[in-house]
Amino acid sequence: MISESGRNQILAKWQESFTRLNGNQPGIAGLMNFAKAWKFAREYLYPIDINDPSPKVYAAQEIRAAFEVLGNARRLAAIFETFLEDMRTQQHLITRDVNHHMSRYEETSDPRAVADLVFRLIQWHTAWAPGQEFGHQVLSAFNHTFQTHTFSVLPSSFSSGFKSLIEMTLEPYLDTEESRSRGKEHPADLRLWAGFECLGMLERYESLISSVCYEAIEKHVWDKCAKSWVEPELANLREWMTDCIVPWMLLPYARGARNSEEAKVMLQGVGARFDFHMCKTLCDLRIGEIFDIIIDYPDSKGALQDLKECLQRVDQRSQLVLALRKANTRRLLHPGADTKDILAQYVSIMRCLRFVDPPGVLLHKVADPIRKYLRGRPDTIRCIVANLVGDKESGDSLADVDEPVQPLSQVQMEDYSDPNWEPEPVDAGPDFRTNKPSDTISTLVSIYDSKDLFIKELQVLLAQRLLAVQDGNFDSERKNIEILKVRFGEAPLQVCEVMLKDMTDSKRIDQHIQAQDECVLHSTIISRHFWPPLQGNKLVMPAQFQEVQDRYANGFTEFKPDKKLHWLPQLGTITLELELQDRSIEVEVTPLEAAVIGHFEEKEEWTTDALISSVGGAVEKSMMTKALSKWANLGVIKEKEGGEFVLLEVQEEGGASLLTASRQAVVEETPSVITVEQQQAGQMKVYWRFIEGMLTNLGSLPLDRIQTMLRIAPGYDKTVEQLATFMEAARREGLVTVQGGLWKLNR
Amino acid sequence: MEQLTSSLAPPRTSTKQTAYGTSQDVAGSVTKRLSSELMTLMMSSSPGISAFPKSDANLFEWAGTIEGASATIYAGLRFKISISFPPNYPYAAPTIKFDTPCYHPNVDLTGGAICLDILQDKWSAVYSVQTILLSLQSLLGEPNNASPLNPDAARIWDKPEEFKTQLMRFYRPINEDGSL
Repeated sequence: MISESGRNQILAKWQESFTRLNGNQPGIAGLMNFAKAWKFAREYLYPIDINDPSPKVYAAQEIRAAFEVLGNARRLAAIFETFLEDMRTQQHLITRDVNHHMSRYEETSDPRAVADLVFRLIQWHTAWAPGQEFGHQVLSAFNHTFQTHTFSVLPSSFSSGFKSLIEMTLEPYLDTEESRSRGKEHPADLRLWAGFECLGMLERYESLISSVCYEAIEKHVWDKCAKSWVEPELANLREWMTDCIVPWMLLPYARGARNSEEAKVMLQGVGARFDFHMCKTLCDLRIGEIFDIIIDYPDSKGALQDLKECLQRVDQRSQLVLALRKANTRRLLHPGADTKDILAQYVSIMRCLRFVDPPGVLLHKVADPIRKYLRGRPDTIRCIVANLVGDKESGDSLADVDEPVQPLSQVQMEDYSDPNWEPEPVDAGPDFRTNKPSDTISTLVSIYDSKDLFIKELQVLLAQRLLAVQDGNFDSERKNIEILKVRFGEAPLQVCEVMLKDMTDSKRIDQHIQAQDECVLHSTIISRHFWPPLQGNKLVMPAQFQEVQDRYANGFTEFKPDKKLHWLPQLGTITLELELQDRSIEVEVTPLEAAVIGHFEEKEEWTTDALISSVGGAVEKSMMTKALSKWANLGVIKEKEGGEFVLLEVQEEGGASLLTASRQAVVEETPSVITVEQQQAGQMKVYWRFIEGMLTNLGSLPLDRIQTMLRIAPGYDKTVEQLATFMEAARREGLVTVQGGLWKLNR
Repeated sequence: MEQLTSSLAPPRTSTKQTAYGTSQDVAGSVTKRLSSELMTLMMSSSPGISAFPKSDANLFEWAGTIEGASATIYAGLRFKISISFPPNYPYAAPTIKFDTPCYHPNVDLTGGAICLDILQDKWSAVYSVQTILLSLQSLLGEPNNASPLNPDAARIWDKPEEFKTQLMRFYRPINEDGSL
């Protein structure tokens, strides 16, 4: 049972409520009044079916009176609660419409169905919304309930429909011409956007709306800028944004703006987002194309300009490095690519990345694998050197034409007392050096640790070129050496100087000897110490040539009594005039060829082997075959069936035609200077002597001990791996044996 | 044409260096001389003689091998020697001793010391490791019996069979791994 005090409490409450509803009316008249007003108000607010043809019309006075009564009884909150409750019971009406329109959209995929739905929803919204006079709170509660319901019944296909609807509104703006002529926005669009806002769709589908815009930007950037690298595109793109996207943006983002100033402020945030996206898209596009852009350099400067600006706005630097490294590995650093091409591309990369990122951080990161790869290629040095001396055959030179010739810059220590010192860029790698050599040639030369390799290769190249010069004009070589002196300094090129001097000296000496005793022989006298080793397969010339040689050597010894000539008879050329019975032939040949034909003077028939032994036995068979075939081609000798060659004193039928046909084939290859590689193989022979020496005297040794001991040998620069390969080869030849990691000589 | 002769003889300027140069210069020039001698020795092919530094860190201590020349009593025998260069090499002779016991009139059987004029008072800077090794090789076949270190050996030198027996009594072949 309820206690006394409880009963009293309930009674008090009842009394209070009753008084509130009844007011000061006698009896329950107030209560009756209230009931009437409640019923009226509820009917007035009740969410009607807008399909109902004849909506009831209420007199404003009556409405006001009813709400006054409710207000006096402090029951306004309760009536709105009831209203929202009523809305829930009427929601099926909206659901029906939504389903209707959406199924139409799903069938036709026509965004206009979605637009219709939006308009319809707005109708519902207007019909159900309580009037402005009820205050802000009521309206927002209504909106909330309405939106909650609406969004809950929208099917999943709505978002795609909504998106295509937005796309539809954007489309006309994208056509630049039309948007200019049309002027301001469509009134239909305006209504639509107002509806979106009213239904709360702007907030809810914000990301959808911007994604439409992003996609439009992406598409435009791809269409306009892909593969078009000549001009910078960024400015054009920005202009396009202003012309096309901004007018459209006014609708969703700056509808409330009263003047352009306000609109500008409202668009600022979202505009920056779109601009960023545009930069990012362009940047991604260029990063994807970077390898080809570099190939096209300098015709692709525009694209690089874009990339540079975009990278400042968007932090895509690491992506650029990754993409370029990947492209390089895939397209450049493989055996199929010519070293010359790799170098050319490397130089282009250098120029491009220096342009995009002047401090060179990007370049440093990208270049590393290329440099490593180039170091592993045997002909890299030769390519660079050939380029240094401006090989005419290689066409475009690696160095810029307008790049001034300057000394090779060395990596300098950082000067911390420099008042303009700047720290290294934040994303620089650990090995990065700000003041790295920046000109192309220095960078290429710095692929290798020392300049010596270049000097050696340079010597070989110079030797080849000097020996190939026929007309005694060394001006171009002299010019090259002078240029190289500027780059490498005087001292390392002294050897080359001597080589050049030898050439001019020989001319002088030759003139002197000729003046004493005229001779058909003209010599080039070189100082062996300063020249790279020349291939020396000894050639014994037939007696008549030998005589000439000896006479010339005597002349020389008279002129320079303390010196003696050491002939390299296999080099040079000889102009011969052959007098045969029916014809005479004048031809320029190599010494070997001359020697061969000289022997035919004594005897008309020779075998290849007999000829080889008659010229000293050191000539390779292939060389001899080549020499013989030259004469055979000239129709002077003929191969008989037994492999013997016979002299043709009288020309055979058809011989002359052969002669013309094979003219091209007799091109003498470059003078036989021993290349650096061959020199290296020779060096390994030297090191073998050392290995032999240490194994004889120190007993069996492990590989790493051999490696350290070999440091005694002058110029030893092989790695342990190279040594291991070499020792393995020696083991296969039976020179050494290995047991438990210890190598010893095989006796 | 050879304009430059690569000389094996010590450079004339080095006397000056010894006189005026710092000790470091001297050590440097000795090392240089030793490595060039090593190079020459490696590149020459004199059968039966060979030598090499014991470690790459110290070029002043070498190990060598001498094979008895054919048609001598030492034919087919291999002897290990050690060579130690003084800091003022080549102005003083290197110290050489046999590591393999060598029964020879001019060699101390136990200590391995050698009595050879060019290693003592007749030393000259133009000699090199190679000439020393060649001299040692010929010394094996032609001992100087006038000043013997090993009088027993000198006494029986003229009796080859008896000598050979004694020689082989003391001789120990070089092991596979190079140790004694």
